[in-house]
Amino acid sequence: MGLERFADVVERFTHGYGSGNGHGPEPAPEVVRQWQEELERTLKRMQNLHRMVTDPTEPKVGQTPRVEIYKRNKSRLFRYQSRRTHRTPLLFVPNLGISRPYIFDLMPGGSFVEHMTREGFDFYLLDWGVFGPEDNDLSFEDCVTKILPRMTQKVLESSGADSLSVLGYCMGAPLSASFLASHPEVPVKNFINMAGPIDFSKIGLFGLWLDPKYFNVDRFVDTLGGVPADLVKAGFKLLKPTMDLSTNLNLWWNLWNDRYVEGFTALNKWANEYVAFPGEFFRQWVGDFYQQNKLFRGEAVFGGRPARLASISCPVFVVGAHEDYIAPPECVRALLDAVSSRDKEYVELPGGHISLIAGRGASLHCWPKVSGWLASRS
Amino acid sequence: MADAATSNPLFEMWRKQFEESAAAWARMVGHAQTPSPLDPAAFWRSALTQWLEPWARILAQGAIPPDAPAQWKQLNDQWIEAWSKALGQAMNTDAYAAMMGKYLDQWLVAAAPVKKAAEQQVDQALATFNIASRTQLTSVAKQIVELEERLERIEETLAAIARRLDDKERR
Repeated sequence: MGLERFADVVERFTHGYGSGNGHGPEPAPEVVRQWQEELERTLKRMQNLHRMVTDPTEPKVGQTPRVEIYKRNKSRLFRYQSRRTHRTPLLFVPNLGISRPYIFDLMPGGSFVEHMTREGFDFYLLDWGVFGPEDNDLSFEDCVTKILPRMTQKVLESSGADSLSVLGYCMGAPLSASFLASHPEVPVKNFINMAGPIDFSKIGLFGLWLDPKYFNVDRFVDTLGGVPADLVKAGFKLLKPTMDLSTNLNLWWNLWNDRYVEGFTALNKWANEYVAFPGEFFRQWVGDFYQQNKLFRGEAVFGGRPARLASISCPVFVVGAHEDYIAPPECVRALLDAVSSRDKEYVELPGGHISLIAGRGASLHCWPKVSGWLASRS
Repeated sequence: MADAATSNPLFEMWRKQFEESAAAWARMVGHAQTPSPLDPAAFWRSALTQWLEPWARILAQGAIPPDAPAQWKQLNDQWIEAWSKALGQAMNTDAYAAMMGKYLDQWLVAAAPVKKAAEQQVDQALATFNIASRTQLTSVAKQIVELEERLERIEETLAAIARRLDDKERR
């Protein structure tokens, strides 16, 4: 029976529909049109697939104009070109290691940086850099006590402003929160946490895998020195093993769409460019945050300075992603209860850890919310 | 098919012998009355059923509708999602975390001496040819970073002194 039906389909495609071919009643014109469209899409898919395989082009990423303001070892501070209609500059602190920060400026029309600069923000990006074995001594504490203070100082100097806003994304949020909590003298006007884990008791799958019962971070760092990019990649792939399958299925489905292919190529470049973790940073990140939850419990000390989240009193905006399995919304939201700010707000948006800030959904849901909240306070 | 099989005396004899011998073996190992036999297919069955059932429904419709490709995509999405959930549940257990931790520990224990020996060998070989090793290059890089930090501190101190002098001149 299945074979007969398949033969009918072949017959229809070979000889067309109806009109006296003896294969039953003539199908509706709408059905014919839909099949023709599907055939055209499939042809286009084949063309694009052929082009992707035989002539792969390097996607142009990070196209928003910018200048390097400051450099310290691997870390760089960039200032983006904008109309600067808001007085308070914004320092964007992304994750250290794992991935490159050009995801925030992936391509024209799909760039968080472009959105923020178009909205008139004086936008600064801290690029932590790509680490090698020579950086294995860099610790979380170094970032909080040496790099971030210098970066904020450079932002204030180059902008001429007397205060700044800080936006931490992913790991950048606990890094920024640790810095703000241990340096209350820094003139921070606003703090935004986007998908940044704060209460690690609610961190989910990674928290379970990195539990001290099962994961000996000291042995890991002492043996390997650092966390190579391939291991970082393996860890994240393991978190969602079906991700590659669904990505490729979606690619095939949308392969007829040139705009989708363009976006996919850029995103795919980013998604396959993992960055190693410096060994000491990883030791402290896993030990103090995942395993002991020191920042949230008020036990973190950086450079002899206690880091208490309650000492953050500036306006705080927290954004969680509904389907975020790297930083589940409940562990992100925890910042709101820990700070002493009066002006504080939490929004939970659709999407995952990456799609919260990158992609079409982000341009509709997330970016306007962030820029809107910040504009009235800058 | 079943009728044909049951009417075959050879098949019937084989089936009876098989059942009797299985029962005999079970009695011998002391599990004559196993309440719930192990079903190794249980883990796969839900995902497989979920994938097969909608296909069966589509095929039962008679004609292939023009949105069949969209349905195919939807079914695959559901199938992947079902797998994702199943794997997510399996991985979100203490047993899985313990197993992964154990394998990682074993790998680290095995890798540590190998890595150390390999590094020593490479260092010795490079020293023979008077070439700097990775360890030496890394330590030079670290020294450069330290120098950079010192220079920066000096620059900051000088800038602070210059600011104070400017303030004094203005007064």
